[in-house]
Amino acid sequence: MPDLRAATVTQAPGPGRRPRRLTPRSIALLVVGIAIAVVYLLPFYVAIVNAFKTDQDASLHPLALPTTWTAAAFGSLFQNSDFGIWTMNSVIVAVFVTLGRIFFDSLAGYALARLRFRGRQTVFAALVAVMAVPGVVLLIPKFLVINQLGMYDSYSGMIVPLLVDAAGVFIMKNFFQSIPVSVEEQAKIDGAGTFRTFWSIVLPMARPAVVTITILSFQASWNELPHFIVSSSSPGLTTLAKGVASLASGALSAGNQYPVKLAAAFVMTIPVAVAFFVFQKRIMNSSDGAVKE
Amino acid sequence: MQRRTARMLTAGAMALTAALTLSACGSGFSGSGSGDATGSAGKLTSSDEDLTVLIGSSGDAETAAVKSAAAAWSKSSGTGVSVQPANNLDQQLAQGFASGKPADVFYVSTSALTGYASNGSLLAYGDDLSNKGDFYPTLTKSFTVDDQLYCAPKDFSTLALFINTKDWKAAGLTDSDVPTTWDQLASVAQKLTQDGRVGLTMSPQYERLGAFMAQAGGALTNADQTKATVDSAANVTALDYVKGLLQDGSTKFSSDLGESWGGDAFGKDKAAMTVEGNWLTGAMSSSYPGVDYKVVQLPKGPKGAGTLQFTNCWGIAKDSPNQKAALDFVEKMTSTTQQLSFAKAFGVMPSVESAASKWKQEYPQYAAFLDEADSAHGVPNKAGTADVIADFDSKLGSLQSTDTKTLLEGVQKNMAAALKG
Amino acid sequence: MSRKNRAEAVSGWLFTAPTIIVLGLFLAVPVLMAAWVSLSDWHGVGSPFSSDVSFVGGQNYAKILGGGGLDEQNFGTALRNNLWYVVFVVPLQTAVALGLALLVNGRALRGRGFFRTAFYFPSVTSSVAITVLWLFLFSSTGAVNKIISWVGVNGPNWFNEPTGLFHLGAGNPPAVLADHTLLGISWWEWLAGPSVAMTAFILLAVFTTSGTFMLLFLAALQNLSPDIDEAAMIDGAGAWTRFWRITLPQLRPTLFTVLTLGLIGTWQIFDQIYTGTKGAPANTTLTPAYLSYTSAFQSQQWGVGAAIAFILFGIIVVFTLLQRWALRERSVSRRRMRWIEKGSVR
Repeated sequence: MPDLRAATVTQAPGPGRRPRRLTPRSIALLVVGIAIAVVYLLPFYVAIVNAFKTDQDASLHPLALPTTWTAAAFGSLFQNSDFGIWTMNSVIVAVFVTLGRIFFDSLAGYALARLRFRGRQTVFAALVAVMAVPGVVLLIPKFLVINQLGMYDSYSGMIVPLLVDAAGVFIMKNFFQSIPVSVEEQAKIDGAGTFRTFWSIVLPMARPAVVTITILSFQASWNELPHFIVSSSSPGLTTLAKGVASLASGALSAGNQYPVKLAAAFVMTIPVAVAFFVFQKRIMNSSDGAVKE
Repeated sequence: MQRRTARMLTAGAMALTAALTLSACGSGFSGSGSGDATGSAGKLTSSDEDLTVLIGSSGDAETAAVKSAAAAWSKSSGTGVSVQPANNLDQQLAQGFASGKPADVFYVSTSALTGYASNGSLLAYGDDLSNKGDFYPTLTKSFTVDDQLYCAPKDFSTLALFINTKDWKAAGLTDSDVPTTWDQLASVAQKLTQDGRVGLTMSPQYERLGAFMAQAGGALTNADQTKATVDSAANVTALDYVKGLLQDGSTKFSSDLGESWGGDAFGKDKAAMTVEGNWLTGAMSSSYPGVDYKVVQLPKGPKGAGTLQFTNCWGIAKDSPNQKAALDFVEKMTSTTQQLSFAKAFGVMPSVESAASKWKQEYPQYAAFLDEADSAHGVPNKAGTADVIADFDSKLGSLQSTDTKTLLEGVQKNMAAALKG
Repeated sequence: MSRKNRAEAVSGWLFTAPTIIVLGLFLAVPVLMAAWVSLSDWHGVGSPFSSDVSFVGGQNYAKILGGGGLDEQNFGTALRNNLWYVVFVVPLQTAVALGLALLVNGRALRGRGFFRTAFYFPSVTSSVAITVLWLFLFSSTGAVNKIISWVGVNGPNWFNEPTGLFHLGAGNPPAVLADHTLLGISWWEWLAGPSVAMTAFILLAVFTTSGTFMLLFLAALQNLSPDIDEAAMIDGAGAWTRFWRITLPQLRPTLFTVLTLGLIGTWQIFDQIYTGTKGAPANTTLTPAYLSYTSAFQSQQWGVGAAIAFILFGIIVVFTLLQRWALRERSVSRRRMRWIEKGSVR
């Protein structure tokens, strides 16, 4: 005997059909969704709002809007700290690392996907093994290697180790494997060399994956902290992450200047947030390619 | 085939050039010093390189003062100088030594000295100092390892009691009520606990509570640092006294007041009194200029007066290519006139005896600091003790809810192990 | 033809060369170098391979795992803190991520795009920025305490409160727990749970990682065919049963991935500690990763720091393997088979 519960299913089966009416169920879900969204967005509201307050206002009334809107925190941030230098360094590093990763990851990904050479399996296995090594374990040893190579405290020490990432190679390889071979066969028949085939024909077709790598690389290099702690120590080479971290531990002497710290955190997040909003769909769909199992 | 090769070569060349350019313009000072970099025993290296000075600044006042003094020296000596306040002095020094490119001159604390001296990072230039005899003997002792004076003490500070004069008057207290014993301190702190503030605050660290331990006649180690004396009855008495103050409600640690150190809690009037050192005077004038305060000696404990003394020295790196200029720089920085102007800028006391009377003349309101110097104890500086003290500090935050004897016994164990090895 | 093959092979090696060089130099070689340093007495000056550096065998490891000194105590504390962090964060972030994915996937929810963005946004921000934010939100007079005061609860001084969650309100420890120690920490301390300060970090972790894992679950959910679910509905299975028996087993691969990534990530927490509390209060936010860093860079004990890093590596491997074993595809037990044959899916 069929269970009567089945008869109370109000939603029409089949994907993609949105209910036109506001059912009680959808209202309930909306309420829950909004409640959770508030929890997730509240910290950012608090950050922005308090960055425009005076120190006392922020300490006394953390949740309210500023009694007087003031940009003093931002002024102090740009004048009393090296925020400009930090931003410049972060930009330099992010640009070089992103370009590097796009180029090297796609090269290696193409080779692993398409080119037959002895040892390909070994390289691939090594790549997977390397992905398994936890990053923080490498903190001390990476410093030692950078030191021994004489790259310590220089841009090359900050950039070169980040030029390739195993996950990026993975993404590119997966993508290249999904491109039909016929295109490349056609190019080979026309007499194009391997690099030419790769550069002029296959890579342009991999635009979605390249965009994904671009965004992920930018995000990763902008937000990276431990690597910059160990690879440099001059104030002139500090990046935003390291600089804001030093602010958080009270490097601007009279401690608890929350508006300044929040202003720093806010400004630091802007580029990443902008990139996120512009490329949302791309980022949120990249997980499709990354899930291996 | 040819085109591909050519393209690859171009790409490779571009990448290589980019990498080289980056490494050339990125690394601090290139270290390719000219001049006689002999470094053999007795002779100092010398070059045309700029000096880098790494300081662990106590605040904007100190950074500005050191920078302007360095600029003045640079002009008169003709050698460039760049002063960098460190975010994390120990970490940056460690990275500098490991990479072979340390700063030329830097602050070295008493606790860090033995470590750096033993692994060969420091130049022992004490005997080359022209003003060697002028330094206080207690200070040079802290920086002497194996009968070698490694560096020149740059200044020193002691702990004293800061009192907010407005709150003092508001509680109906007068000059005769200035506490000179533990009991008086306790009652005065009680009276000052009103209007949403506590009477007394301090940072939860050995570097503050140790003053009370000294007043009770206790210390972390014996005089020549061979035996640990952390769990002595005197220390238990001292910590129990502070615990009593905390339980009375008249005292709160700065962390419990939401501040990172006692100075901020005092400046923001969350507490009427604090136990702090000379450096607070500089912070008060730059960050809290509106607060009126006076400095008095800490009260006497069961065994009399006692306080802690803190000092740093100017270390010179053995790897420095320009040790001669560095030595000259240090001598200038420790000269009588320069130390007096540092004292003016950020409130520390000169490390040279020749400046003592002038200093007392100019700053009678800070006489308490210098008077306490006679009963001041230094912080242990043997290798490994710094970690034990850091661990001790981390436990002091919860002093109110911990059994004093157990706490001290735990630290005793660690200290004994550190002094042994 | 073989000339073409050889050309292809050469290209293959050339193309992967940069990757091999960079990853080899900065990932593989460091591991080997660290292994050497952990077995030597290098003190941080000059090259670790110079002749004055000698092999000391397992001395550094012995210092951490035994030895009765501060090194052992700190390592035990760090291990305990991180263990509780993992135990709380991994299930929480997985459950929250799954819940959010189900919520956003449901066809009944309007404006799914907005919610998806809102839930994922914290994951793109830098851990440094979020930690700064958290320090402000969870300060003793901060927003969080303000909000919970609306329901009459007096919030703790979050980042300064070292009491473990399970010790809140507890009295004196029983002697059997207080007197016996493992790695320098008494059993009473081991069972204290995460401190209140660590709890704030746990919340931070869930906040920033649930979005990423939500996307993984979403992708998997969207790949599920609705037929099985509908068949179960027609058979009369309720929503809860459908979730447990139909949806969840099909998510097993993704669950696997999320748990593995979660384990690997939580055992390495460093950025937030470095930016925020640096191990305070009372060393209850000390973690092995941070301890490894401070041992080397601040206390100049490079061998100990490297040893801690390797032990951490081992821990991560063990936990990952354990998790794989626990979630392995098990062949259906005979009892379950008989039950299914009887025809009740309930």
